[in-house]
Amino acid sequence: MTRAGDGHESPHDRRGEAAESPGPGTGPAEAEPAETEPDPRFTMANERTFLAWSRTALALVAAGLGVVQLLPPFPGVPVGRHVVGIPLIVLGAVIAVAAYLDMMRNQRALRRDEPLPRSLLPRLLAATIGGVATVAAIVVLLSATR
Amino acid sequence: MPAPNLQPRVIDPANRTSLAWTRTAVAFAAIGVAMFKLSPVAGVVVVALSLPIWAVNHRRRGSVEVPSSPRRLRLVTGTVVIVALAALTVAIFGHSPDSLGQLLRAR
Repeated sequence: MTRAGDGHESPHDRRGEAAESPGPGTGPAEAEPAETEPDPRFTMANERTFLAWSRTALALVAAGLGVVQLLPPFPGVPVGRHVVGIPLIVLGAVIAVAAYLDMMRNQRALRRDEPLPRSLLPRLLAATIGGVATVAAIVVLLSATR
Repeated sequence: MPAPNLQPRVIDPANRTSLAWTRTAVAFAAIGVAMFKLSPVAGVVVVALSLPIWAVNHRRRGSVEVPSSPRRLRLVTGTVVIVALAALTVAIFGHSPDSLGQLLRAR
Protein backbone atom coordinates (compact mmCIF):
# COMPACT_ATOMS: atom_id res chain seq x y z
CA MET A 1 0.00 0.00 0.00
CA THR A 2 1.06 3.58 -0.49
CA ARG A 3 2.96 4.88 2.51
CA ALA A 4 1.02 7.30 4.67
CA GLY A 5 2.54 9.84 6.98
CA ASP A 6 6.07 9.19 8.19
CA GLY A 7 5.54 5.47 8.65
CA HIS A 8 6.12 5.46 12.40
CA GLU A 9 2.52 5.47 13.47
CA SER A 10 0.01 2.79 14.15
CA PRO A 11 -3.12 3.08 12.02
CA HIS A 12 -5.07 3.84 15.18
CA ASP A 13 -2.93 6.34 17.00
CA ARG A 14 -5.02 9.36 16.25
CA ARG A 15 -8.70 8.72 16.04
CA GLY A 16 -8.72 6.12 18.68
CA GLU A 17 -12.43 6.12 19.45
CA ALA A 18 -13.58 2.56 19.90
CA ALA A 19 -16.19 1.68 17.34
CA GLU A 20 -19.19 -0.48 17.99
CA SER A 21 -17.21 -2.92 20.10
CA PRO A 22 -18.83 -3.65 23.42
CA GLY A 23 -16.67 -4.69 26.32
CA PRO A 24 -15.56 -8.26 26.96
CA GLY A 25 -18.20 -10.83 27.57
CA THR A 26 -21.05 -8.84 26.13
CA GLY A 27 -22.28 -11.23 23.46
CA PRO A 28 -21.46 -12.22 19.90
CA ALA A 29 -19.03 -9.30 19.40
CA GLU A 30 -16.69 -11.07 21.80
CA ALA A 31 -15.47 -13.42 19.06
CA GLU A 32 -14.92 -10.59 16.54
CA PRO A 33 -11.81 -8.43 16.89
CA ALA A 34 -12.59 -4.87 17.97
CA GLU A 35 -12.73 -2.42 15.07
CA THR A 36 -11.81 1.25 15.20
CA GLU A 37 -11.81 3.75 12.38
CA PRO A 38 -8.18 4.07 11.17
CA ASP A 39 -6.32 7.29 10.51
CA PRO A 40 -7.80 8.92 7.40
CA ARG A 41 -4.32 9.05 5.88
CA PHE A 42 -4.13 5.25 5.87
CA THR A 43 -7.63 4.99 4.46
CA MET A 44 -6.75 7.46 1.72
CA ALA A 45 -3.50 5.62 0.94
CA ASN A 46 -5.52 2.42 0.62
CA GLU A 47 -7.96 4.21 -1.67
CA ARG A 48 -5.16 5.59 -3.86
CA THR A 49 -3.68 2.10 -4.20
CA PHE A 50 -7.08 0.83 -5.30
CA LEU A 51 -7.37 3.66 -7.84
CA ALA A 52 -3.85 2.93 -9.15
CA TRP A 53 -4.79 -0.72 -9.69
CA SER A 54 -8.00 0.38 -11.41
CA ARG A 55 -6.00 2.56 -13.80
CA THR A 56 -3.65 -0.37 -14.44
CA ALA A 57 -6.69 -2.50 -15.25
CA LEU A 58 -7.97 0.18 -17.60
CA ALA A 59 -4.56 0.40 -19.30
CA LEU A 60 -4.58 -3.38 -19.84
CA VAL A 61 -8.04 -3.18 -21.41
CA ALA A 62 -6.86 -0.34 -23.68
CA ALA A 63 -3.71 -2.27 -24.61
CA GLY A 64 -5.73 -5.39 -25.44
CA LEU A 65 -8.17 -3.43 -27.54
CA GLY A 66 -5.30 -1.67 -29.31
CA VAL A 67 -3.60 -4.99 -30.14
CA VAL A 68 -6.81 -6.47 -31.56
CA GLN A 69 -8.06 -3.44 -33.45
CA LEU A 70 -5.03 -1.37 -34.40
CA LEU A 71 -2.20 -3.82 -35.15
CA PRO A 72 -2.00 -5.14 -38.72
CA PRO A 73 -2.83 -8.86 -38.99
CA PHE A 74 0.05 -11.32 -38.52
CA PRO A 75 0.62 -13.08 -41.84
CA GLY A 76 -0.03 -16.80 -41.51
CA VAL A 77 -1.47 -16.50 -37.97
CA PRO A 78 -5.05 -15.27 -38.48
CA VAL A 79 -6.02 -15.27 -34.80
CA GLY A 80 -2.64 -13.97 -33.62
CA ARG A 81 -3.87 -10.53 -32.53
CA HIS A 82 -6.79 -12.03 -30.62
CA VAL A 83 -4.59 -14.56 -28.83
CA VAL A 84 -2.46 -11.66 -27.56
CA GLY A 85 -5.13 -9.00 -27.00
CA ILE A 86 -8.08 -10.85 -25.47
CA PRO A 87 -6.15 -12.16 -22.40
CA LEU A 88 -5.08 -8.58 -21.69
CA ILE A 89 -8.71 -7.40 -21.71
CA VAL A 90 -9.79 -10.29 -19.47
CA LEU A 91 -6.87 -9.61 -17.11
CA GLY A 92 -8.01 -5.99 -16.90
CA ALA A 93 -11.46 -7.05 -15.69
CA VAL A 94 -9.99 -9.57 -13.22
CA ILE A 95 -7.58 -6.99 -11.79
CA ALA A 96 -10.38 -4.45 -11.32
CA VAL A 97 -12.42 -6.91 -9.22
CA ALA A 98 -9.36 -8.23 -7.34
CA ALA A 99 -8.27 -4.67 -6.52
CA TYR A 100 -11.65 -3.97 -4.93
CA LEU A 101 -11.50 -7.16 -2.85
CA ASP A 102 -7.91 -6.34 -1.84
CA MET A 103 -8.89 -2.83 -0.83
CA MET A 104 -11.72 -4.11 1.38
CA ARG A 105 -9.45 -6.72 2.99
CA ASN A 106 -6.79 -4.09 3.69
CA GLN A 107 -9.35 -1.72 5.15
CA ARG A 108 -10.69 -4.45 7.44
CA ALA A 109 -7.14 -5.23 8.60
CA LEU A 110 -6.52 -1.52 9.28
CA ARG A 111 -9.73 -1.28 11.30
CA ARG A 112 -8.70 -4.31 13.38
CA ASP A 113 -5.08 -3.13 13.72
CA GLU A 114 -3.91 -6.38 12.15
CA PRO A 115 -1.00 -6.83 9.67
CA LEU A 116 -2.04 -6.14 6.08
CA PRO A 117 -2.76 -9.32 4.12
CA ARG A 118 -0.42 -10.17 1.24
CA SER A 119 -1.79 -9.22 -2.13
CA LEU A 120 -1.87 -11.67 -5.03
CA LEU A 121 -2.24 -8.86 -7.56
CA PRO A 122 1.46 -8.19 -8.31
CA ARG A 123 2.11 -11.89 -8.90
CA LEU A 124 -1.03 -12.26 -11.01
CA LEU A 125 -0.07 -9.24 -13.11
CA ALA A 126 3.55 -10.37 -13.55
CA ALA A 127 2.58 -13.94 -14.46
CA THR A 128 -0.06 -12.90 -16.97
CA ILE A 129 2.08 -10.24 -18.63
CA GLY A 130 4.94 -12.77 -18.82
CA GLY A 131 2.57 -15.31 -20.40
CA VAL A 132 1.17 -12.81 -22.88
CA ALA A 133 4.69 -11.66 -23.83
CA THR A 134 5.70 -15.28 -24.45
CA VAL A 135 2.62 -15.89 -26.60
CA ALA A 136 3.28 -12.65 -28.51
CA ALA A 137 6.87 -13.74 -29.20
CA ILE A 138 5.65 -17.13 -30.46
CA VAL A 139 3.04 -15.47 -32.71
CA VAL A 140 5.66 -13.08 -34.15
CA LEU A 141 8.09 -15.96 -34.78
CA LEU A 142 5.37 -18.10 -36.39
CA SER A 143 4.29 -15.27 -38.67
CA ALA A 144 7.92 -14.56 -39.63
CA THR A 145 8.57 -18.17 -40.62
CA ARG A 146 5.45 -18.47 -42.80
CA MET B 1 -9.01 20.20 -3.77
CA PRO B 2 -10.23 19.60 -0.20
CA ALA B 3 -11.54 22.42 1.92
CA PRO B 4 -8.92 24.52 3.76
CA ASN B 5 -10.44 23.84 7.22
CA LEU B 6 -8.95 20.31 7.32
CA GLN B 7 -6.09 19.45 9.67
CA PRO B 8 -2.78 20.20 7.89
CA ARG B 9 -1.52 16.60 8.26
CA VAL B 10 -4.51 15.40 6.26
CA ILE B 11 -4.44 18.04 3.53
CA ASP B 12 -1.57 16.56 1.48
CA PRO B 13 -2.89 12.97 1.48
CA ALA B 14 -6.34 14.36 0.69
CA ASN B 15 -4.92 16.31 -2.25
CA ARG B 16 -3.06 13.24 -3.51
CA THR B 17 -6.25 11.19 -3.24
CA SER B 18 -8.22 13.87 -5.03
CA LEU B 19 -5.65 13.92 -7.83
CA ALA B 20 -5.76 10.12 -8.03
CA TRP B 21 -9.54 10.28 -8.54
CA THR B 22 -9.06 12.94 -11.21
CA ARG B 23 -6.42 10.84 -13.01
CA THR B 24 -8.76 7.87 -12.92
CA ALA B 25 -11.61 9.90 -14.41
CA VAL B 26 -9.28 11.25 -17.13
CA ALA B 27 -8.10 7.69 -17.88
CA PHE B 28 -11.72 6.59 -18.33
CA ALA B 29 -12.44 9.56 -20.60
CA ALA B 30 -9.29 8.84 -22.65
CA ILE B 31 -10.15 5.21 -23.23
CA GLY B 32 -13.70 6.29 -24.08
CA VAL B 33 -12.39 8.65 -26.76
CA ALA B 34 -10.15 5.87 -28.12
CA MET B 35 -13.07 3.44 -28.17
CA PHE B 36 -15.23 6.02 -29.91
CA LYS B 37 -13.14 5.51 -33.06
CA LEU B 38 -13.81 1.78 -33.01
CA SER B 39 -17.39 1.78 -31.76
CA PRO B 40 -19.13 5.16 -31.28
CA VAL B 41 -21.82 3.77 -28.94
CA ALA B 42 -19.31 2.06 -26.63
CA GLY B 43 -17.11 5.17 -26.69
CA VAL B 44 -19.95 7.49 -25.67
CA VAL B 45 -20.97 5.10 -22.86
CA VAL B 46 -17.41 4.96 -21.48
CA VAL B 47 -16.95 8.75 -21.67
CA ALA B 48 -20.30 9.15 -19.90
CA LEU B 49 -19.15 6.73 -17.17
CA SER B 50 -16.13 8.92 -16.47
CA LEU B 51 -18.41 11.74 -15.34
CA PRO B 52 -19.81 10.04 -12.20
CA ILE B 53 -16.25 9.08 -11.24
CA TRP B 54 -15.14 12.68 -11.49
CA ALA B 55 -18.33 13.78 -9.66
CA VAL B 56 -17.66 11.37 -6.78
CA ASN B 57 -14.36 13.12 -6.10
CA HIS B 58 -15.81 16.58 -6.64
CA ARG B 59 -18.68 15.98 -4.21
CA ARG B 60 -16.33 14.65 -1.55
CA ARG B 61 -14.39 17.90 -1.29
CA GLY B 62 -14.08 19.00 2.32
CA SER B 63 -15.24 15.71 3.79
CA VAL B 64 -12.11 13.56 3.57
CA GLU B 65 -12.42 12.58 7.22
CA VAL B 66 -15.33 10.40 6.17
CA PRO B 67 -14.04 6.90 5.36
CA SER B 68 -14.39 5.85 1.72
CA SER B 69 -17.73 4.36 0.94
CA PRO B 70 -17.57 0.90 -0.66
CA ARG B 71 -20.32 2.04 -3.04
CA ARG B 72 -18.02 4.65 -4.60
CA LEU B 73 -15.28 2.09 -5.06
CA ARG B 74 -17.73 -0.43 -6.49
CA LEU B 75 -18.68 2.24 -9.05
CA VAL B 76 -15.07 2.34 -10.27
CA THR B 77 -14.75 -1.46 -10.30
CA GLY B 78 -18.09 -1.86 -12.09
CA THR B 79 -17.11 0.73 -14.66
CA VAL B 80 -13.79 -0.99 -15.42
CA VAL B 81 -15.63 -4.32 -15.81
CA ILE B 82 -18.19 -2.69 -18.14
CA VAL B 83 -15.36 -1.14 -20.20
CA ALA B 84 -13.63 -4.54 -20.37
CA LEU B 85 -16.84 -6.24 -21.52
CA ALA B 86 -17.39 -3.53 -24.15
CA ALA B 87 -13.77 -3.91 -25.29
CA LEU B 88 -14.18 -7.68 -25.46
CA THR B 89 -17.32 -7.28 -27.58
CA VAL B 90 -15.56 -4.85 -29.93
CA ALA B 91 -12.50 -7.14 -30.10
CA ILE B 92 -14.52 -10.24 -30.95
CA PHE B 93 -17.38 -8.85 -33.02
CA GLY B 94 -15.75 -5.66 -34.34
CA HIS B 95 -16.33 -4.43 -37.88
CA SER B 96 -12.94 -5.39 -39.30
CA PRO B 97 -13.09 -8.16 -41.94
CA ASP B 98 -10.60 -10.25 -39.97
CA SER B 99 -12.36 -9.93 -36.60
CA LEU B 100 -12.53 -13.10 -34.52
CA GLY B 101 -16.25 -13.42 -35.22
CA GLN B 102 -15.65 -13.28 -38.98
CA LEU B 103 -12.75 -15.72 -38.76
CA LEU B 104 -14.79 -18.20 -36.75
CA ARG B 105 -17.73 -17.85 -39.15
CA ALA B 106 -15.43 -18.45 -42.12
CA ARG B 107 -14.27 -21.73 -40.59
